[in-house]
Amino acid sequence: MNGPIRRLAVGVFVCLAMLLAGVTWYQVVRADELRADPRNPRPALSERGKERGLIVAADGTVLARSVEDPDDPRSFLREYPEGAPFAHLVGYQSFLVGNSGLERAYTSELRSRRDLTISDLVEAILGRDLRPKSIEVTIDPRLQRAAYEALGANRGAVVALDPRTGAVLALVSTPSFDPTLLLGDDGATQWELLLTDAAEPTRDRATLEIYAPGSTFKTVVAAAALDTGHAGPGTTFDDPVEFPLPGSNATISNANEQPCNDGETATMLQGFVRSCNTIFADLTVQLGAADIGITAEALGFNQEIEFEWPIPQAVWNTLELAEDPAALAQSGIGERDVRASPLHMAMIAAAVANDGMAVSPYAVGQVFDADGNSIEETEIMELGQAMSPETSLTLTQMMERVVTEGTGRRAAVPGVRIAGKTGTATGSGGFPNPWFIGFAPVDDPSIALAVFIEGSTVSGETASGGSLAAPIASTLFQVWLSP
Amino acid sequence: MSRTAEGATIVAASLLAAFGVALVNFANGGSVDAQTGLTFLVFLLAFGALFMAISAFAPRATPLLLPPVAALVGLGFFEIYRLDPARAGLQRWWLLIASTVAILVLMLLARGTTSILRRYRNLILIVSIGLLLLPNLPNDWGFPLRGHEVNGSRLWIILDLGVTGMQFQPAELAKLGMVIFFAAYLADHQKALREAHRRLGPIRIPEPRQLIPLVLAWGGSIFILIWQRDLGASLLLFAGFVLLLYAATGATGYLVAGGLMTLGGAAAAAALFDHVQRRITAWLEPFDHYLDEGFQISQGLFALATGSLSGSGPGLGRPDLIPNAATDFIFAAVGEELGFAGSVAVIAMFALVVSVGLGLSFRSRDTFRKLLAAGLTFVLAVQTFLIIGGVLRIVPLTGITLPFMSYGGSALVGNLVLVALLLRISHEEAG
Repeated sequence: MNGPIRRLAVGVFVCLAMLLAGVTWYQVVRADELRADPRNPRPALSERGKERGLIVAADGTVLARSVEDPDDPRSFLREYPEGAPFAHLVGYQSFLVGNSGLERAYTSELRSRRDLTISDLVEAILGRDLRPKSIEVTIDPRLQRAAYEALGANRGAVVALDPRTGAVLALVSTPSFDPTLLLGDDGATQWELLLTDAAEPTRDRATLEIYAPGSTFKTVVAAAALDTGHAGPGTTFDDPVEFPLPGSNATISNANEQPCNDGETATMLQGFVRSCNTIFADLTVQLGAADIGITAEALGFNQEIEFEWPIPQAVWNTLELAEDPAALAQSGIGERDVRASPLHMAMIAAAVANDGMAVSPYAVGQVFDADGNSIEETEIMELGQAMSPETSLTLTQMMERVVTEGTGRRAAVPGVRIAGKTGTATGSGGFPNPWFIGFAPVDDPSIALAVFIEGSTVSGETASGGSLAAPIASTLFQVWLSP
Repeated sequence: MSRTAEGATIVAASLLAAFGVALVNFANGGSVDAQTGLTFLVFLLAFGALFMAISAFAPRATPLLLPPVAALVGLGFFEIYRLDPARAGLQRWWLLIASTVAILVLMLLARGTTSILRRYRNLILIVSIGLLLLPNLPNDWGFPLRGHEVNGSRLWIILDLGVTGMQFQPAELAKLGMVIFFAAYLADHQKALREAHRRLGPIRIPEPRQLIPLVLAWGGSIFILIWQRDLGASLLLFAGFVLLLYAATGATGYLVAGGLMTLGGAAAAAALFDHVQRRITAWLEPFDHYLDEGFQISQGLFALATGSLSGSGPGLGRPDLIPNAATDFIFAAVGEELGFAGSVAVIAMFALVVSVGLGLSFRSRDTFRKLLAAGLTFVLAVQTFLIIGGVLRIVPLTGITLPFMSYGGSALVGNLVLVALLLRISHEEAG
């Protein structure tokens, strides 16, 4: 009789082993996947009311903090004291609508590690601190607020960088919203309102959208021309009223439908300073898609650029443009299929300012532990020498002339040498998208920026980068450089 | 393990239950309170008395059985307290009652030894069948003992005591009676059953006449399934009987036939009954039927996955989101709050109890005691596998409770009596 009992005992233990395999499957192997299932309310419910780390600016301005809930001493409420100007950068952490911005990107640092996921347990065993960490952003709150104010009722974005390090000094997208609205019990309703707003306030125009850069892209073409030695500031080009697109009946003309200079010849410098499409379309076709592509890719086009969260790539389609000279000519003036985000255009201005060295942008400078000790400091990440130092020097001089005597005069600040380039791209629905990129001071640049306005409702002559974006840049240069 | 160590582990299990209650309190902003102390005292009283009864009435019994049982009851208890403090208060009373009944059983067997169970097997069978039928008493007659239906299953009786009503699930005790009867019947007819075989290749086929008890047991199970709509008890009784039949005869044919009959019965039940069909859907595609049939299983799996390695901690998870967490899904609730570590500990303690039971059967010289120990252990093992396996989607959910841990007084009484029977067998075989 022991024989059958032994065999049954084996069966029983096989069954118990199956139970062990089952719990291993659901609690270890598939644990993270099921935990993150959108139908599982537990993670969001457990994040609710948990303490999270501080988000502060270098000057001590608190951008996000957790305070004790007066109604429930064991629970915390998240606060965003600076509100709308910082909304796209700081983001939000809401148990109803999820998270965004730095709140999302730095969740693993900011959250309390006391709910013991597998990785938390490993940290606990290693004796790590389970309290939430804090992050310090490189933003200058004064500049950030000024940028938000300067953009006013416009839809648009401002990105300012330290050209030497890539540190983000300002990152604004308008219109914006108060992230605190999303935290309450009616957060889902507020979220619906934001989503149905035609101005799309939740859209991060500074980093997550790519637009045609317009004439600001002429800096890239000029850099390619200088780097390859194909042309210098004094190189002359024919100066027609209209540049005929190769292999097409269409033409490219300048903003004022006039020749760039005297109708005979114009230099590259004149074309750049006056932002002449005829001259740069000609130059672009002469250079070819590949040569411009080399400089563009060195400046981060078609590349994954590291940032605090994943950002879309800037686009310069060398292969297609090499086949289609008409499209190439239009792309050379930043239209057609060229695309870049305001963050990326600021990065290009920064590379020119930084002797041609392109640097990856970053917004979080340091991570602190709960005792306030710095435990992680962001290191400068160079993307590479995008253009020779000589090219950057020449290009800087050309960009300075844009501000002193060209289309960017309204970016000027008395007593400060400023370099810049305007752009007025064709936006959706025929409304222009004014741009300005630039840096200051020219001798020792400490700020590079991009100003972008989406679909300016002002039309005609006044709706240009020079008239709408350049003044905002001027204001920001003043704020930054004033003590 | 010595008796002293056994006593120490019982104190430890009582502390475990009380500590769990205190942690749940802390998680809700409270602290050590009367509930904590009361839990400790009730556990100490219930298991301490049982421990002393063992020393008195079954002194040579194995010391390995009571500690894991006490720990399982303790783990289950704090989770019940976390889910529903009012039910936990009731469960404490039930623990005292269960311990008392188990002690009475030990006392009774100390006078007559387990052989009286064999002698009165037919009486036990009749009483068991009577118990099984009790829930089919009318709901609304004058007599204070009434049937009661919960979640579509007719498993309950209510004893109306005027001031308060007592609910009881008689199947939990009938289960034991049936196992006793099976073991006694098979011990008596073991020889005849074993020898009456034809060979068909490597498989020994029982004589058709010998299949009659199998068919009767199957019919009884189907009857329970139809009349009381209790899938779990039905499956449990039939599986227990088939396993014992095989243990007694060694005839593989019984296992094969029993397996086929189970599958056939299950297929027929799935075709005929809506509630069986829904359970199979929930088993196969819980997430595709998240909003209806699959909700409970999905929530159980979310709970386990969110608990991950070390769990949320007592009182810090959300096992309250799982329907019937305190009864059918107590394993998922414990797994969420104590994590993989807790789940493995629970399975390991069940493995220990099952090992002790099977070892006992293995070493028994007396056929009846051998079969009784095996039968009781199989019933315990099958029940544990069916419900934990149901939560883990290894088998369809059959809606039975997890022994020792789930909320439910009758189950606790039945399972502690089961432990008392195993202890008594252990004592007699050691003599």
